[in-house]
Amino acid sequence: MPLDREAVKSAIRSKVIDLAKALNIDASGLGDADIIPATGYLDSTAILELVVWYEQTYDFPLKQEEINIDNLGSINAMADFLLSRKRG
Amino acid sequence: MASPLHIPRVNNNDDSVRIVDLGVSEGDFVTRGQIVGAVETDKAVLDVPVERDGYVLKILHRAGETASVGSVLLWLGEIATERVPEQAPAATARGTAGGTDRPTAKAQAMLRELGLGANVIPAAGARLTVADIEAWLATQRQPVKTAGPSPRPTPEQAPSVPGEYRDLSAEERGMLFTVLWHRDRAAAAYLEIEYDPQPWNDYAARYAQQNKLLLSPLLPLIAFRLVELAKTTPRINATAINDRRYEYHAVNLGFTVQAGQTLYLAVVQGAQEMNAARFIDALGEVQRHAMAHKLRSAESSGATLAFSSMARWNVSRHISILAPATSLIVSHSASRGSGDAVLGATYDHRLLSGFDVVQVLQALTQPPA
Repeated sequence: MPLDREAVKSAIRSKVIDLAKALNIDASGLGDADIIPATGYLDSTAILELVVWYEQTYDFPLKQEEINIDNLGSINAMADFLLSRKRG
Repeated sequence: MASPLHIPRVNNNDDSVRIVDLGVSEGDFVTRGQIVGAVETDKAVLDVPVERDGYVLKILHRAGETASVGSVLLWLGEIATERVPEQAPAATARGTAGGTDRPTAKAQAMLRELGLGANVIPAAGARLTVADIEAWLATQRQPVKTAGPSPRPTPEQAPSVPGEYRDLSAEERGMLFTVLWHRDRAAAAYLEIEYDPQPWNDYAARYAQQNKLLLSPLLPLIAFRLVELAKTTPRINATAINDRRYEYHAVNLGFTVQAGQTLYLAVVQGAQEMNAARFIDALGEVQRHAMAHKLRSAESSGATLAFSSMARWNVSRHISILAPATSLIVSHSASRGSGDAVLGATYDHRLLSGFDVVQVLQALTQPPA
């Protein structure tokens, strides 16, 4: 079944909010284009957890060099990177 | 009590075999049925499983060696610090001096009292006697007791408060082994220094921006600085073996990763060959594997030096446990109210002095120029 961009974005946003909640931070104001590390909602370990969840949820193993701001820095970037690779 | 794992017979015509593989090291915990190696003759290859759970106390053969069928391949123990008998008969030729190890009644009673098996002790004559047991005990440097309680450690009594036993997971058993090594082998000491974390924070932020990193490289960069220091100060990348310092050729940097309820020491092998960028990538990779509970064997063993941080939980003092066969673990902690932060180090005082460690910590508090 093809991935739906809005559904992917929604799932990523939910995961970010969950991870932030574990740090006692409310990330519900996170915008789709916000650079996640710059928002301060998640620390480095939580971002790592987000990446691992992203790989596992979408069966999408990443190469280390792909884990950068351009590909995974925001909700939009994560969704677009996933869709482009899955379609490619 | 320590028990031997004997080299199995592959076929009836060969009394010796070649050890082609040995996948465990002394100190490893193994579980019943786990394949720890393989042996071969010209005709066949046979996996060697262990018959019980336990710690690998001592390995008597190496891969590539030829060994007699029935000789001891390795010793297993319930705890990592158990003594290994100095002599052990072959499984296929129990007893010595051409006799049998069938004990006399008195010897049997003594064995029962000591909690020993007859097959561990060589007999001088046709039957195993009290004198044989006493002679063997003398070689083990254990007190000879012909009466009274067993010399084995008294098992802990269950608390009087009702409860139930739970088996430890493999990771928990690993932690138990680490803590016992720290307690029983190392002469562990700890010290810490305060420092201004701002230069490191600025350096890491610049590095992240220049390289478009998603994850903060702060801790990886400090850990890499530790690797660099180990290259010029090999005594921090070492352990003590039989009253000598054993300096490792490679710097295998262990980095603690808390993945849910599980604490891993993820290992970057061969870090001495890497530059900062490659090290950050390699560490990121093993961290991801740890987070997914999919660390490979080489990524979870063989640390020669270690680094840990509990800054994430606002821990301002963090006295780490030494990883087995290492002499230093650096502990990074959160900034305090004053703005200063703390770098601590647990070290093996058999090899390192406080002065040695202070020098390392002072060097670590500053990013590269």
